[in-house]
Parts: sequence; structure tokens; C-alpha cells
Amino acid sequence: MTPGNENHALFENLRLELRRGSLILAVLVMLRTEQYGYTLRKSLADHGMPIDEGTLYPLLRRLETQGLLVSEWREEDKRNKRFYRLSAEGKAILKPLLAEWQGINTSLNGIL
Amino acid sequence: MEILDSYLRAVKRYLPRAQSSDIIKELSDDLRSQLEEKETAAGRPLADEEIAAFLRQHGDPMTVARRYRQDSPSLTIGWELIGPELFPMYLIMLSVNLVITVACVAIVFLIMHAPLTLNVFVFPVLIQIVVLTLVFVGLNLVRRKYPQPWYYPPAEISPMIPVPRGYSIAGLILWGPVLLWWLAVPFVPFLLLGSAAAHLQLAPTWHRFYVPLLLVLLASVAQRVISIFRPHWTWLVPFMRLLINAAGTLVLYFLVFKSRTLVVVADPFPSTGQYDKLAESVNGTLLWGVLGPWLWIWAGISVPIYAWYCLPHLRRMLRGKTGAASSTVSPSQGK
Repeated sequence: MTPGNENHALFENLRLELRRGSLILAVLVMLRTEQYGYTLRKSLADHGMPIDEGTLYPLLRRLETQGLLVSEWREEDKRNKRFYRLSAEGKAILKPLLAEWQGINTSLNGIL
Repeated sequence: MEILDSYLRAVKRYLPRAQSSDIIKELSDDLRSQLEEKETAAGRPLADEEIAAFLRQHGDPMTVARRYRQDSPSLTIGWELIGPELFPMYLIMLSVNLVITVACVAIVFLIMHAPLTLNVFVFPVLIQIVVLTLVFVGLNLVRRKYPQPWYYPPAEISPMIPVPRGYSIAGLILWGPVLLWWLAVPFVPFLLLGSAAAHLQLAPTWHRFYVPLLLVLLASVAQRVISIFRPHWTWLVPFMRLLINAAGTLVLYFLVFKSRTLVVVADPFPSTGQYDKLAESVNGTLLWGVLGPWLWIWAGISVPIYAWYCLPHLRRMLRGKTGAASSTVSPSQGK
């Protein structure tokens, strides 16, 4: 592996780590309104946070297992879709999480 | 969408069973929505090749399923040797290999009337474990470096996936030397008989099977060479391999079961008990240690797999013919 490749791989790893936390927050915020996976992914992409379905769906499942989301299967456009929304627990946790993120953001801006 | 359904079935195979149906339902809806969007943009239904290209971009079924698994076991010693995508297949292959190895060793020793102790299994079993682990470590490295290609696409999708050149080259590297070895055997019997070549020679029956087996090997190498230059001839791989393996099965069957004497005592040596016993041992090893397992692999594994991989090609050919027939028939029907 050349040094350029190594740096690129390292950057990719760091970028993914950085994105991971932000994505969770973005998903929780977007799911204050009920959506199904495909529209959620499109909304995230429209807001500049593209995410492939291979990352989004496992994340949604994990958040649901953690009790932050609830989901239900419903028919729409003649097709069964799984709709997700923030649970009561998710709503309760989102508030301090957003405050935390804003705090980090302010601190980072200060450092920069 | 037949291709999409096949793809989803392939993904499902690698998912945790308890959640697989739920995950597939959701994934199916997402992929269908994306394909519909593409169709709307194109203003026409997508062709099979376009759907296959889209699915290829989406990722190979094993990798897609891996993202849903949280309990993915892998072989890691400091760094990842065999990743979670390959690890289940590694375990299956290792188990099958070890069962075959133990069975072959036991059969050879029983035929040779040699004492069957635990020690005789240790070396062959260790060799199998080391070789198979190294093969999978290599595959893992390739997958990490080139995550996109599908080395073993599901049968239904395989007609649309060009044969990876690396796959054909790897086959050539494996079978090229085997062909050269086979060509050299009549001139250097040591290559087949080892040190026993000093006292034994190939039985006359070899002359009947030498050329057919040579043709089988030549066809095998030729298919790989053609696939390197014509990767889009996806039908060539299953049809040629089916033919090669079926022909190989027939040749080996007659060689193993009809002509049990493969080597005899060499002319200058008297047919004494010592050399007869040596010939018997070598015959037993060749029949049950080399040709027998090979026959089993060709007949029992390769032929059914390649026959299965031929079906989608046949279906596509038939569909093509039916389509062509109906398009030529309908105008005349209208008259």
C-alpha cells in the first residue's frame, strides 16, 4: 500500500466514524415525522446526508431494538411498507442529544 | 422482476433466520422503489441487463446481508484473516473437506490392510486445515481489495454478470500446470508414480483413457482462455464445465471401476510377491486416494452445480426464442 493510499484509507475511516454519530442524530431528527425507509433516505440525501440502504436499514433496526424508534407495516401505493417514527423514549433522548451536539459544535468552532 | 427476486433470495440465504423475512420485505420495497424511479426517469421498463447492473452496484448478496448481522463471527488474530462474509462458507467447506479426507484416508488404509490408528489422520487433516485456511485468507484479501466483483453470483443472475478475468486467470493458473503434468506423465512416469516408478509401469489400460482425459483437461484450459478474452460469453462457463465434468465423470468411472489395474510390475522385474504388493498398494492409492475422490467431486458436486447454473441460460434462450417467435407470428395473425 502506498503512503497516499494509506492516508486515503485513514481519512475514510475517520470520516466514517465522524459521520456515524451524526447520522444517528439526523435519522432521529427526521423521524420526528413518520416515514418509511426509502423516503427517509431520500430526505437525508436532499439534506446533504446521503446514506445507502445497506447502512440505513441495519441502523433503523438497531435504533428500534434500543427502543428509540417504533415501526409498523402498512400498505401504501399497493405495497407493504414499514413506517418508522420516534418513540416516546426516542423523543426524550433526542432533546439532550441535540443539546450535546450543539455544545460540541460550539466548542469545536471555538477551537477552530 | 425475476432478477430482483433471485437477488433477494440470495441475500436471504446469508441473513439471520429469525429476521430474514422481515429484512427482505423491507429491502425488496426499497429496491423496487429505486427501480421504479429509474423506470420513470427512463420512460420505459428496464431491461434485465440494466436491473443486473443496478443490483451489481448495490453489492453482492453476501456483503449486503453482512450489514444486517450483528453477531458476525470471523477468524481474527490481531488482524482479520477471514472476514464475516466468508467465515460461514469457510466453516462449511472445512467440515465437508475434513469428512471427505477422513473417509478417504480410512478407505485407503483399509484397502491396503494397514493398521488404522489416530496418527494416520493427523497429517492429512492438518494439511486440509492449513490449505483451506490459506485459500480463504487469500480470498478475504481479494474481497477487501476489490469489494465490488461478484465471484459467485446467484445462478439466476449469473447470465448477466460478465465472468471476472481474475477468476478465469486463477483457473488457468490452476489447470495449466495440471495439463502440462498430464502431458509429461507418459515420458516421466515418476510424476505419477513417484519413487515406485523404478519398479512399476503404467498398465496398458492407460492408453485407452489417456487421450480422453487429455481432451477433458484441454477443454478446461481452453474455456478459461476464451473466458479471459470473451467475459461476456457467460453461458460458456456452465455449459463447458458441465460438458467437461460429465465427460470427466464417465472417463474416471470406467477407469476406476472397470479397469482396476492402473499400474503393473515393470518388465525387467520378476512378478514376485514384493513387487506385486507394491503394485497393489499404488493401485489402491491411485484408485481410492486420487481418482475416486476426483470422481466423487466431478459427479457429486460439479455436475449438479453446473447443471443448475445452465438452467437460467436455457430459460433466457427459450424466452428469447419465444419472444422472437411471437414477434414474427403476431403480424401474420393480424392479417
